[in-house]
Amino acid sequence: MTRRKAFLIVQSLFCALVAGLLAAGALSLYFDGAAKQAAGDLFYAMFTRERAAAWLLPILPLFLCSLGLTAAGLILGIRDENADKPVRDESLPRAMSRVREKAASRQADRKTLILRTAALLIALILIAAGVLNGGLEDVLAKGIAICTECVGLG
Amino acid sequence: MDKTVKKEKNRKPAARKLVQLYAALLYNAHLKGFIDGHIYSGNLKALCVPGFNCYSCPAAVGSCPLGALQNALNAAGHTAPWYVLGMLTLFGVILGRTVCGWLCPLGLIQELLHKIPTPKIRKSRLTRMLSYLKYGVLAVFVIILPVWYGVEKGLILPAFCKYICPAGTLEGAVGLLQNPANSTSFYQLGALFTQKWIIMVAVGLLCVFCYRSFCRFLCPLGAIYGFFNRFALTGVKVDPARCNSCGQCVMKCPMDVKHVGRAECISCGQCVDACAQGAISFQCGKITLKGPETGRRADPEPVIRKRRKLGRIAWAAALAVLAFALVCFNLPEPAADQQNAVSAVGTEEGCLMPDFSTELLSGEAFRLSDHRGQVVIVNFWGTTCAPCIEELPYYEQLKQAHPDVEILAIHHRAGAKKAKDFLADKGWDHIDFALDSKEKGLFTLLNAADAMPQTIVVNPRGVVTYNAQTPLTYEKLETLYREAR
Repeated sequence: MTRRKAFLIVQSLFCALVAGLLAAGALSLYFDGAAKQAAGDLFYAMFTRERAAAWLLPILPLFLCSLGLTAAGLILGIRDENADKPVRDESLPRAMSRVREKAASRQADRKTLILRTAALLIALILIAAGVLNGGLEDVLAKGIAICTECVGLG
Repeated sequence: MDKTVKKEKNRKPAARKLVQLYAALLYNAHLKGFIDGHIYSGNLKALCVPGFNCYSCPAAVGSCPLGALQNALNAAGHTAPWYVLGMLTLFGVILGRTVCGWLCPLGLIQELLHKIPTPKIRKSRLTRMLSYLKYGVLAVFVIILPVWYGVEKGLILPAFCKYICPAGTLEGAVGLLQNPANSTSFYQLGALFTQKWIIMVAVGLLCVFCYRSFCRFLCPLGAIYGFFNRFALTGVKVDPARCNSCGQCVMKCPMDVKHVGRAECISCGQCVDACAQGAISFQCGKITLKGPETGRRADPEPVIRKRRKLGRIAWAAALAVLAFALVCFNLPEPAADQQNAVSAVGTEEGCLMPDFSTELLSGEAFRLSDHRGQVVIVNFWGTTCAPCIEELPYYEQLKQAHPDVEILAIHHRAGAKKAKDFLADKGWDHIDFALDSKEKGLFTLLNAADAMPQTIVVNPRGVVTYNAQTPLTYEKLETLYREAR
């Protein structure tokens, strides 16, 4: 195994570990809280600022190590070289020639122009209709008040 | 390849990164929101931004088109969703998926994560198959569930935002929770937050190994813009006279494209550099934004020089707009000191609740100090908030069981005009309802971050015994009432 490969694998493990700990910490707080609530403590807060800090702080050194490795990798130019290699696809040449034929026809150009103009007109008509029917106000109403359920708070 | 060409090639993707960063900053110009914990609540939020950007992010100055679409489809039973559909069509026909490649903050985050040096998963038949998944997500979570819940059941369910959206978790939830001013929001974190947190972490991890995984496999906004890509004004175009069908463009493309410029193409412009024939260019109508600049088919030198000059002018104008936006959105508000002074008096538990008065929907006046000697429960709600509507019957039930409690439900100023019609047939006659407005500013006075639902319980001595942003059950309400009494 080359040093480059070893570096990439170590970095992958760090990333997976950080992600795993982030997920496991949240799960453990949730299950702990659910058990307390089931035991009758109705107002037990599963996540508090202190509990979140106690869960996230131990992950911080690992995260910083991973960040350091990333910086080192980027500075030294260590990367998966296979990622840049072209991906061969058997179905390509035929597909490409079809595209060329289609693109070459003037009819296609005209069709695109008609579609584009029609869509633009429809968009403007829809926006005007939306402003008139109160759609604009609805977007504002949703935007300026936080729906806690929508962002995943609860 | 000589050094100049190499240097030139390295410079180009950086320009896209700068545009992505610029867009992310412009969408999130209300930076002081991160400091004071409040979201921007100006009229500009009526406009949708083209990219994926949660409108509950404390810094967001525009609305997320996908969130707005779900909300509009949810309300399709009484208001046709023309406005949001029009905005999406407009963005689609002008920009197509160029939005994904150049103007999406979530795309930028995914690309930065992919920079982490690890072994990478290359595109394959499997990734191409997975790229169809986003159409399923669009159909089920963005269209079918919101329409079904809204029209058939009369309930609010922005299913994609609620169950999947990692931008909502990162920008909205984490963005709000990081501020100590919103510590009452922690009370409501539970199963939903845990689920969405895990989804966000999983998506982030996948992006490290697989280029733009969320964008390619899950993003419904990308799926919508993909429909327009074929005839969008801006995008990567192929000159058929020069193309020799070598397929290098598709083979080097990091996305799952079958043809350049089609549904999966995000116009990142990598194919422009990859094409040896100089057949591909990035265009907006007839204007070439990026063309072949090296090789034997390169554009003539004067053309390149003119393009760069225009680019510099465009950048100068764009930076001026950004600077203006940053200054405007982050100017301190004159009333801020007064607000802070009031909140220091105390809506926190154990503090004396500040006195306030308002007009009720029934026309009567309400003053908090008139209710000394009674338990007063103040609830903040909105017709756009599903948990708020679900918990209101519990307040009605509590008032029926304990007539001595005073319950005041204040509707958010957003959509307040519709609240009266909404309440008409609900039969919640024992609750006192009031509508907030910009002038009254009750939410600002008593509520930290415009987050709903929020409940404040005040004991007979006027002291706050409970204040949290979380939906309550009847059992919890009953317990809170007994404890306050």
